Amino acid sequence: MIDLAFKNVKREKSRTFLTVLGIVIGIGVIVALGSFAEGINVFFQSTLEFSAGKVTVQQRGAGGFQTGFSGSDITDEQVEAIKMLDGVKEVVPVNMYIEAGGIGFDIQMIVVGLDPSNSNVFVGDDIGLYSGRELEPGDSGYIVVGKDFADSRGLVIGDTVTLKDTGFEVIGIIEKSNNANVDSSAMITMSDMQDLLDTESYSLLYVIPEDIRDVETIADRIEDEDDSLSATTNKDFARTATDVVNRIRMFMFAMGGIAAVIGGLGVLNTMVMSVLERRKEIGVMKAIGATNYNVLFQILSESLIISLLGGVIGVLVGQIGAFVLVVVTEGAIPATVTPGLAATGILFAMALGAIGGIYPAWQAARVDPVQALRYE
Amino acid sequence: MAKSRKCDAKGCTIEVKGVNKYYNKGLQSEVHVLKDVNVCFDKGSFVSIMGPSGSGKTTLLDIIGCLLKPTSGTVYLDGIDTSKLSDNQLATIRGKTIGFIFQQYNLVNSFTALENVELAMRINGKPKNEARKRATKLLDLVGLSHRVNNRPTQMSGGEQQRVAIARALSNEPKVILGDEPTGNLDTKTGGKILDLLKRLNKEEGYTIINVTHDPEVGKIADKVIHIRDGMITGKR
Repeated sequence: MIDLAFKNVKREKSRTFLTVLGIVIGIGVIVALGSFAEGINVFFQSTLEFSAGKVTVQQRGAGGFQTGFSGSDITDEQVEAIKMLDGVKEVVPVNMYIEAGGIGFDIQMIVVGLDPSNSNVFVGDDIGLYSGRELEPGDSGYIVVGKDFADSRGLVIGDTVTLKDTGFEVIGIIEKSNNANVDSSAMITMSDMQDLLDTESYSLLYVIPEDIRDVETIADRIEDEDDSLSATTNKDFARTATDVVNRIRMFMFAMGGIAAVIGGLGVLNTMVMSVLERRKEIGVMKAIGATNYNVLFQILSESLIISLLGGVIGVLVGQIGAFVLVVVTEGAIPATVTPGLAATGILFAMALGAIGGIYPAWQAARVDPVQALRYE
Repeated sequence: MAKSRKCDAKGCTIEVKGVNKYYNKGLQSEVHVLKDVNVCFDKGSFVSIMGPSGSGKTTLLDIIGCLLKPTSGTVYLDGIDTSKLSDNQLATIRGKTIGFIFQQYNLVNSFTALENVELAMRINGKPKNEARKRATKLLDLVGLSHRVNNRPTQMSGGEQQRVAIARALSNEPKVILGDEPTGNLDTKTGGKILDLLKRLNKEEGYTIINVTHDPEVGKIADKVIHIRDGMITGKR
């Protein structure tokens, strides 16, 4: 009987098209916005992994990662004082600056200067090189770039990257890490960076504790020692990030939900109209043997077919929306349609179809065949 | 299913026993449509129920066809007491035991002739391929093998009624109920439809109960039941 439901759905093509369109828009909005929230979540997660097991220290009131920690100016004396604190294993000074742009989500221009022997603190222990070699102590005039950074500029080993009118030869490309901070950055030695910026101070410090479980304690000790510094751990960041992501998710699902519910009302309207128009036909079906359940199933099937179609197309449209978001943010927000999000979109559409179809289906099941045949 | 019962008359398919039907019972607008109707329809017979408009003949047909429940009394259909059945059980009985032919044909306009005949079988659970085969055969039987892919709106009234007859036969019913099946047709076409029904009765053995107010239609029946003001007033 499901083939009859398909046939009935195709009967009023333009009405079905408009109803499906309503669901497509609703589910498309949910999926596209949901992918945006997922993307922000992925971004925060990668940043969390990036800062796991270490304390990030910067000047209080300075800008964050996306601004290259602008305004942060940490001196060697402050570095030495932190090194002296109990439980501190290592302090890695880092300098960062934004080569161009760098406002908002555009982090593709972040240039990092650090001691080559400590580059694993920035890149991570598990990430190797895609090509070329790493920076080595004593290197000068060389640059190692992240995969996205290289791809976006078409860089290969031996090419030159110009920073503040100074040319640097690309000697290494880091393999794709899926950490936006690494993939979109470029590294030079600390001495080259200090020459470039004409400074002897640092924009931030990574403080590695002797025991990874002490990160919170170390952060407190650093702030107690020097109240001009702000020390954060990934736990602080995780708290904020989770809060932000949850708020964004709720907002986006609310917006998408409203759009989808409007689409669902379209299904209800279409099915109510369809049942009203087909009362006589339903009467005939009942006269020739259709039970109330048969009729209920028939109308509900039609409603579910419409919503499933809308759901599947809506997920595809949402995927296109996610792709557009990635392009617009130049990859900074890796908006992704996860299988869970796609399934949520389709299930939500089906739920709308079921809710929108149950009342008309119940109405249809209650059609009195004698009344329908005699008076319709 | 309700308990079976044997009719008094030999070979009786349907027995209507003490049936009363009220509309709007207990209200000011109460109408007593059928009054203590008792009648038996023999297996393989061709019966016409005749009477003027408002006499209750269509209500009686609807009750025999399990579309309506009597207010009191009962109908035994092939031995089954239909007054004890639920709506869904009655629907199943209608699908498997009864074939309807309506004055207005009542075909689904968006379906082809073939699909209209298939529909009745599909509703009753017959697989699509089998339903298609039988629908094709039945349309051939009613002389419409050249119209299988036409929609009702592309067919004449007589052709539509032939499709309706093919649909009525589709589930191999025990009885065919016709509610003024020639009422919307001209005399010549109506005559052809009656010939077809008579042929189905004589050659295929179908029991046919036909409601009409046209005495000419009554003439071809084996038995005529006259009804007036909800009461059976005579039998031939």
